[in-house]
Amino acid sequence: MGSIIAQRLIGSIPILVIVSLITFAMIHLIPGDPATAIAGLSATSEQISNIRHDLGLDQPLLAQLGHWYLNLARGDLGRSLLLGQPVLEATMQRLPITLALSAYALALTLLLGLGSGIIAALKQNTFIDQCAMMFAMLGISLPNFYLGLLMIVVFAVHLGWLPTGGYVPLTEDPIGWLATSTMPAISLALLLTGLLARITRSTMLEVLRQDYIRTARAKGLSERKVVTKHALANALIPITTVIGIVISLLISGSVVTESLFSIPGIGQLLTQAVLNRDYPMVQGGLMITTTLLVLVNIGVDVCYALLDPRVRY
Amino acid sequence: MRRYRFRHSVLWRLLHHRLFVLGAILFGIIVIAAALAPLIAPLDPNKLSMRNKFQPPSWNYLFGTDNFGRSLWSRVIWGAQLSMFIGSAVVLINAVAGTAIGAAAGYFRRLDNMVMRINDALMAFPAVLLAIAVTAVLGPSVSDVIIALSIVYTPRTARIVRSSVVVLREMEYVQAARAAGAGDWRILSRHVLPNAMAPLLVQLSFLFAYAVLTEATLSFLGVGAVPPTPTWGNIMAEGRQYMTDAPWIITIPGAALMITVLGLNLLGDGLRDVLDPRLRIQQ
Amino acid sequence: MRRSLFIALAATAVSCLGGIGAKADPFKCPHVGGDFVFGQEANINTLDQMTSSTISTRNIAMNIYESLMTRDENNHPILELAASMDEAPDHLTYTFKLRQGIHFHNGKLMTSADVVASFDRYAKVGNQRSTLDNVDRWEAPDAQTFVIHMKRVQPTFIDALSSFSVPIVIIPSENRDVPAQQLTKPIGTGPYQLVEAIPGSAVKLKRYDGYKPNETFQQRTGFGGYKQACFDTVTFRIVTEPGARVAGLQTGELQGVEDVPAKSVPDLKNDKKITILPLKNWWIQIANPNTSFPPTDNLLVRKAIQAALDMDEIMDAASDGNYQLNVGFQYPNQPDYTDAGKATYNIHDPALAKKYLAEANYQGEPVILLTNKDYPPMYNSALVMQQQLQAVGINAQMKVVDWPTSVQMMLNTTEGWNFHFTGWGTQPALGALATMQFLVQPNATYKPKDGKDDPDVLAAWNDMNTLPTPEGRQEAFARMQKLVLERVYAVPFGSFTKVQAVRSNVQGFVPFRIPRMANVWFAQ
Repeated sequence: MGSIIAQRLIGSIPILVIVSLITFAMIHLIPGDPATAIAGLSATSEQISNIRHDLGLDQPLLAQLGHWYLNLARGDLGRSLLLGQPVLEATMQRLPITLALSAYALALTLLLGLGSGIIAALKQNTFIDQCAMMFAMLGISLPNFYLGLLMIVVFAVHLGWLPTGGYVPLTEDPIGWLATSTMPAISLALLLTGLLARITRSTMLEVLRQDYIRTARAKGLSERKVVTKHALANALIPITTVIGIVISLLISGSVVTESLFSIPGIGQLLTQAVLNRDYPMVQGGLMITTTLLVLVNIGVDVCYALLDPRVRY
Repeated sequence: MRRYRFRHSVLWRLLHHRLFVLGAILFGIIVIAAALAPLIAPLDPNKLSMRNKFQPPSWNYLFGTDNFGRSLWSRVIWGAQLSMFIGSAVVLINAVAGTAIGAAAGYFRRLDNMVMRINDALMAFPAVLLAIAVTAVLGPSVSDVIIALSIVYTPRTARIVRSSVVVLREMEYVQAARAAGAGDWRILSRHVLPNAMAPLLVQLSFLFAYAVLTEATLSFLGVGAVPPTPTWGNIMAEGRQYMTDAPWIITIPGAALMITVLGLNLLGDGLRDVLDPRLRIQQ
Repeated sequence: MRRSLFIALAATAVSCLGGIGAKADPFKCPHVGGDFVFGQEANINTLDQMTSSTISTRNIAMNIYESLMTRDENNHPILELAASMDEAPDHLTYTFKLRQGIHFHNGKLMTSADVVASFDRYAKVGNQRSTLDNVDRWEAPDAQTFVIHMKRVQPTFIDALSSFSVPIVIIPSENRDVPAQQLTKPIGTGPYQLVEAIPGSAVKLKRYDGYKPNETFQQRTGFGGYKQACFDTVTFRIVTEPGARVAGLQTGELQGVEDVPAKSVPDLKNDKKITILPLKNWWIQIANPNTSFPPTDNLLVRKAIQAALDMDEIMDAASDGNYQLNVGFQYPNQPDYTDAGKATYNIHDPALAKKYLAEANYQGEPVILLTNKDYPPMYNSALVMQQQLQAVGINAQMKVVDWPTSVQMMLNTTEGWNFHFTGWGTQPALGALATMQFLVQPNATYKPKDGKDDPDVLAAWNDMNTLPTPEGRQEAFARMQKLVLERVYAVPFGSFTKVQAVRSNVQGFVPFRIPRMANVWFAQ
């Protein structure tokens, strides 16, 4: 098991190297430079070029790439040009916020997605099944920022039940956190719930068709036992592979959701960094997120290997 | 004889698949509206008319007007044309490039490792962030958005094609063809690719939906096709600050977006139901 | 009149005029205490004022730092940390006597050694170190005296020295060699001192009990005057979303905000707990032509464009109604204001425009309006201008990019764009000199052909800088403004009103180029 993990980790190094090169190339290809963004609105060209010089941005590209790699090797991801804060520190400040929100969304997804998928499979082709699948279909078709906007108009502006945006940290005030995170979590969870419901249903149906289920029923086991012990347990295995995709979609979706609800998370941080040409932030931030995603995928594969006795490396 | 019956039965099954038909109708409405844009939306979508700003939907202005007095009906219809154009372009590029890359990687073992590494690297970036970065590099024009979306989604298509090709490569009839002396290209085009088409087609219909959705997201974030071009995402982004006073600016394009994506998803579902051999055996 | 005398008199006059009622007593906080939370619209990347030109940094840093000289409420240079300033008859030496008993936030007594160190650092890393280009050297003959020696006469030197764009703030001499942008723990002499800065989130200041106000004045004025810190603490919270700022103000979470979007103003006006404070003349909305790229290289085409514009319609769209029409590059309340060239402003005559187009033999070449989506006023004004130009038959097209890209295109390319949309804020506030530098090389905004200044404009600029009398320099400015407007080297649309707001129990807050936290208190 350990050697498998080590193998996968080593295998992901070339991917990360390619990611770092792509990131560096991309951000430096964007026209315009951070000096302009930093200098502000009424800046004179002298002020802009002074800033550019102070930040080392007028050095040749290869030199800048070299600097970055050297620092990377030392664990120094650099300083955000726009925030004036070390990149690692800025990312670590925002990451828990996005993670908390994603966890909330994930919980909703698992609860509703798995739940409705299982029920739909058990009651295949009945009215309940069709309803559940219609909702799932709507879920994957409704753009998440549209749902977010609608929720804001209804729940925040008209009814006043929830705030229009902003963020209260969980550690500070759990109720406040719940209030500010509910609408974003729902808009994030919608797409994923739909996906998960559909996949759960089809996997369950697949499993329920198997011979061993018929055997279990023939043996006289209670339907409950059949479903939970045999069907569900086996169905969960392929479903875990979906989790990797789900997490990637969560991060992608958080970019829009955080922007819409003014939540200071990773998605916001990176979007603003790209738009403001905050080179160190984009490079460092993207490295951190992609590394995390790669690690998560490895973790998912390991879980899958652990769960499914048929998988042998 | 056998080929004719095969085609007949697939088409017949599609047309009798209720959800597929529903999807086709929904998507069809959007496509037709987009195609007929010059006829049904003669008002210039960019014409300002400050006197008429914030008109709610009425007989004069079917969808109302926005903060510059522009007709929302015109903007949404022309936005439909743009979305259809972008979606089709992305799907086309994906189909060609994704198939080429995926097939090459799946069939030629030497290429597999390297190509898939680059593929995985690209897929490690969260889709929206990669799209934002690429559009920032290329510039905010429609063609650059298409390129950005293609770069984001082609790896996923390539991966699917590769998976099919890898499996098909080992099939007996392929082995037989190789033993009979057929060249690689002949095997690929005659035997492998046609059978890999089914999952690809299903993927492409979902891909159209993703492309339209991601483009709207990019425009909404302010990094997509350049305003004042009327894309649905742009219209919603500009209408966001007037949410309380003029909600129609957001609700109507959003509904159009939803109908498009829903239609495409239903189409994709229908295609999968009909083309997936496992389910076909079942019925 | 000798410069030093003029300044001392002006200072006294202002301080007398600034007095409330007939009393000549200096300002006293009616109530001391409380924590004032202010919602700021933009992020800050540093509190190192010397190396930053951004408004967001200045908002906070100028409550912490002070400088030798600064500007008063009407933009006149006044003394701040200097007690007196003496200009030699040959205008090549400036002698400053420092005020006594000023301490830094770390308790250190301020002496001329600190002033020397501050100037040393500014010369090395200051964002606008060109301010000191004409300075030969400086020295501190004793602990209370600081002397600047000039290489050549610069009548406008005191204006430049007192500028608040990138002010030469006085820091303790220990900080002399801190590299650019790295001065993260600012130590100044201002009424508030730094407690902590949480990047991306908030900056907290607290009252500096050892603060010594400037007794030459009775009241706060501009960046200086008689300042008192009435709050215990001030928290600048970064709230980038306009809707969130309004919501925070309404719930009382924020007691003041830097900017209120125009469409929220009617709602807030009805709220008794909130006071709306419009700040007129925040910036000049402007479009700069590219005279190196056809068809705007042709003066007649430019005149046609100028004739076609309806400034009311443009400014209304740009500011949602919060604007003033304004001729030229200064505002009516400023001493430098002149309406020279007003015949060219807001002509709104399509027939005249078409006549100029015919004379120019305009063949439908595209006129590209380069604007950006990041600042809605720039985008909106471009949209309306496009419409107005198309109405007279000009093939106007929009090129919308983001702010950094548009600035880069404007600075580095002479092709592919005909008008660049921007806003001039700090420079007009500083005065005519600071503003007109945009119209001469290097980097003249109208991109003169072959990089050569228009000789008449250049002559007027040189006069503005070198003529010995203020009247002479003012006449040169009026001449330059008229030339620029008549030759359509710039198209100013009007001035933009920024709306700030506070809770009604906040007294003494008067909007200015920065939110001044001194002499503001909570009413009981």
